[in-house]
Amino acid sequence: MFGFLLIFWIVISGKADIQHVFVGALLSLLIVLFWREDLFSRLPGTPNIKELLYLGHFILLLVGYIIQANISLAKTLLFSDPPAKPVFMVLEPSVESDWGRALLATCITITPGTVSVDVDPETGRFIVHALTEKTGIDLLHWRLINVIHKIEASAKGE
Amino acid sequence: MIKIIANICFIGSLTAFAVGTLGLYKLPDPYSRLHGMGIGDTLGVGFFGLGLLFLSPNWIIRIKIMVCLFLFWVINPTMTHLIAKSGLIHGTKPTEGTKVIKE
Repeated sequence: MFGFLLIFWIVISGKADIQHVFVGALLSLLIVLFWREDLFSRLPGTPNIKELLYLGHFILLLVGYIIQANISLAKTLLFSDPPAKPVFMVLEPSVESDWGRALLATCITITPGTVSVDVDPETGRFIVHALTEKTGIDLLHWRLINVIHKIEASAKGE
Repeated sequence: MIKIIANICFIGSLTAFAVGTLGLYKLPDPYSRLHGMGIGDTLGVGFFGLGLLFLSPNWIIRIKIMVCLFLFWVINPTMTHLIAKSGLIHGTKPTEGTKVIKE
């Protein structure tokens, strides 16, 4: 994480002289020390090749879903009257890890037409607001959830 | 040629933002309006970033734009989630006829 933050600092500052590297290293070190127990201990470990392949598959699927959802939402907004019959969905995707839940909630929200309103940290139950009933029910068959299950299983060494 | 492709991207971005803004007016409640801006946040910003990538003079700037896009796509859904959650906590009522479906 220290390396990641330092690279991020150098890329954003655009200079790699001694002053920038020193300040970047110092700040990265302070951030890592400050968050090491609360945040970084919950992050997944270094991914292996299998997990990286799953992650690549995940990103491709997500981009596909985002493009489909954009087209569908644009049609709904432009041509439907009334434009929405919203629903609240209660999902139990049985994602166990903190990072898996955060990833799924982020993906649900970034896909137009669905917003994750709440995630119960105890039960892993998601409350999702969907713009149409069809969009909400489609979430039940999301292949992204299966890919997160696979990454979780791989991270556990199964 | 690159300028033409970049301009097509900017027009696509503008169209996405226009449709998203239309959603703000047409959709009935605050939860639904969050979806309206979703088009601008994904497709709009994506096309805009793509256009800027085509026009960038060197790779340092391209990498910076990609980092900015990545950060935007991470931070934006988090903020959207927070707005929706605070609406739920403070009792903002959804529009009439909103169903609740349990898995």
